[in-house]
Amino acid sequence: MIRALAYGTREALASLRRNSLMSLASVTTVAVCLTVLASTLLVAGNLDHLAAAVEAQVQIRVFIAEDATPETREALAKAVAGLEGVASVEVVTREEALERLREQFGSRRELLDAVEEMNPLRDSLEVAVARPEQVVPTAEVISRLQGVAEVNYGQVFVDKLFSVTRFVRWIGLGLVALLTVATVLIISNTVRLTVFARREEIGIMKLVGATDWFIRWPFLLEGLFLGMLGAGLTAGLTWQGYPWLVEQAERVVPFLPLLAGEAAREFVRRTNLVLVVLGAFLGAVGSTVSLRRFLRV
Amino acid sequence: MIELVRVTKVFPNGVVALQDVNLFVDRGEFVFVVGPSGAGKSTLVKLLYREEVPTEGEVYVDGRDVARLRPGQVPPLRRQIGVVFQDFKLLPNKTAYDNVAFALEVIGASRREIRRRVPQALDLVGLRDRARAYPNQLSGGEQQRVALARAIVNNPWLLLADEPTGNLDPDTSWGIVRLLEEVNRRGTTVVMATHARHIVNAMQKRVIALRRGRVIRDEHHGRYVRDDDELSSLLEEMRAVVSP
Repeated sequence: MIRALAYGTREALASLRRNSLMSLASVTTVAVCLTVLASTLLVAGNLDHLAAAVEAQVQIRVFIAEDATPETREALAKAVAGLEGVASVEVVTREEALERLREQFGSRRELLDAVEEMNPLRDSLEVAVARPEQVVPTAEVISRLQGVAEVNYGQVFVDKLFSVTRFVRWIGLGLVALLTVATVLIISNTVRLTVFARREEIGIMKLVGATDWFIRWPFLLEGLFLGMLGAGLTAGLTWQGYPWLVEQAERVVPFLPLLAGEAAREFVRRTNLVLVVLGAFLGAVGSTVSLRRFLRV
Repeated sequence: MIELVRVTKVFPNGVVALQDVNLFVDRGEFVFVVGPSGAGKSTLVKLLYREEVPTEGEVYVDGRDVARLRPGQVPPLRRQIGVVFQDFKLLPNKTAYDNVAFALEVIGASRREIRRRVPQALDLVGLRDRARAYPNQLSGGEQQRVALARAIVNNPWLLLADEPTGNLDPDTSWGIVRLLEEVNRRGTTVVMATHARHIVNAMQKRVIALRRGRVIRDEHHGRYVRDDDELSSLLEEMRAVVSP
């Protein structure tokens, strides 16, 4: 077993050296393929991050009945704050609400002077939930509490947002699947060439009674090395390239919630780990696939 | 021992290579399989090391029906059998020594064993001093002797030779046959498919003659053709092939 492994490693390295130009070509192709894959993963990760950031901003606005006393108001705020999944509750009086509106109007704030005397706004609570998917059930519960006139959380907007993020995730998954197939094909093609170049050798090995696994090892390792080298190139590229890209993007669009800093490093690290494992796995699979035909003697 | 029971081999293209062949070869025998091209000699040899499987019938090698072996049982079978071909089948990028060592390497022999057995095998075929030569630096006879060394380095009980002298001149051919005889004397069963008439006639060994996939003759101390009748019908057949 150990002898077979040693033999396989030796043969695989020798083969890579013998066909160095071809190996280089396939390492590059694998690297390009995996780079596209990595970009997809990184974009998907950022979209996910962006979606999460937007989702986190979704708030529930609870309008309080106009006949409610300040005591009921306080009691309501306390009750809401005690609900499961509620992160924070802020009381916004009708005066404060008008003030905010004024700020949003900016230079045309005098338009609001007309309503100063008879403020049409209501007291409200601003409720933030810990997790985006809790918005709907929490709003449901709040609407049944005493003193609540109306609950608003931008239903249509939230539903749309969730379907968009789901869509983005599926697209990413689809791309990953496609590129996986492409990588297997590329590696199996490269290894097929070396298998073809050595078909005589394989024939003799079979003739003198080598087992299929003994014959397979060198090719499997060769594919594995090719895949890992390609993935390594990609990993280096993303490690260096991603922070730079984020920097460029932030210069152009300053407030985009991109993954950056330590979180980004962690994310790239995890992506790269996936890439290297995937590269090695695909290389091994690719070479085994291309060898099957030659072993059937 | 080898036993073929009612063996028929039909190739996918419809060619009938062997038809209802029955055969028994005991351990330690030296057997020539003769016949014109296309008589089924090669197919017979291929059945024995399971390069081919019979369409019908059973092929027993050392008591096991090789037609019914699972894929995983084929390598153990082949480790008991040495095979030599007309075209030598040596690896051009390996020296004589490495070509012989290769046969041991791929069955997982230890380095020590390889260092011990490869020189022995090369000694037997008289090529010890050519161990470092590559196939293209060796004559045809020498290449065939390397192939023979590779076939016997694993101490097989059965040695199959498919037209081993087909590419060699008469003198060199005799060298190879003498070696096969020596291997046989040491206890290995030898089955040699050939149409080297002078060799078969001189050796006075058992001869199995095939024609159109059937055994037409099987005799000890046999000759390539039995008599003038067989020779003339053979010539007629060959003429028909050449100018139909």
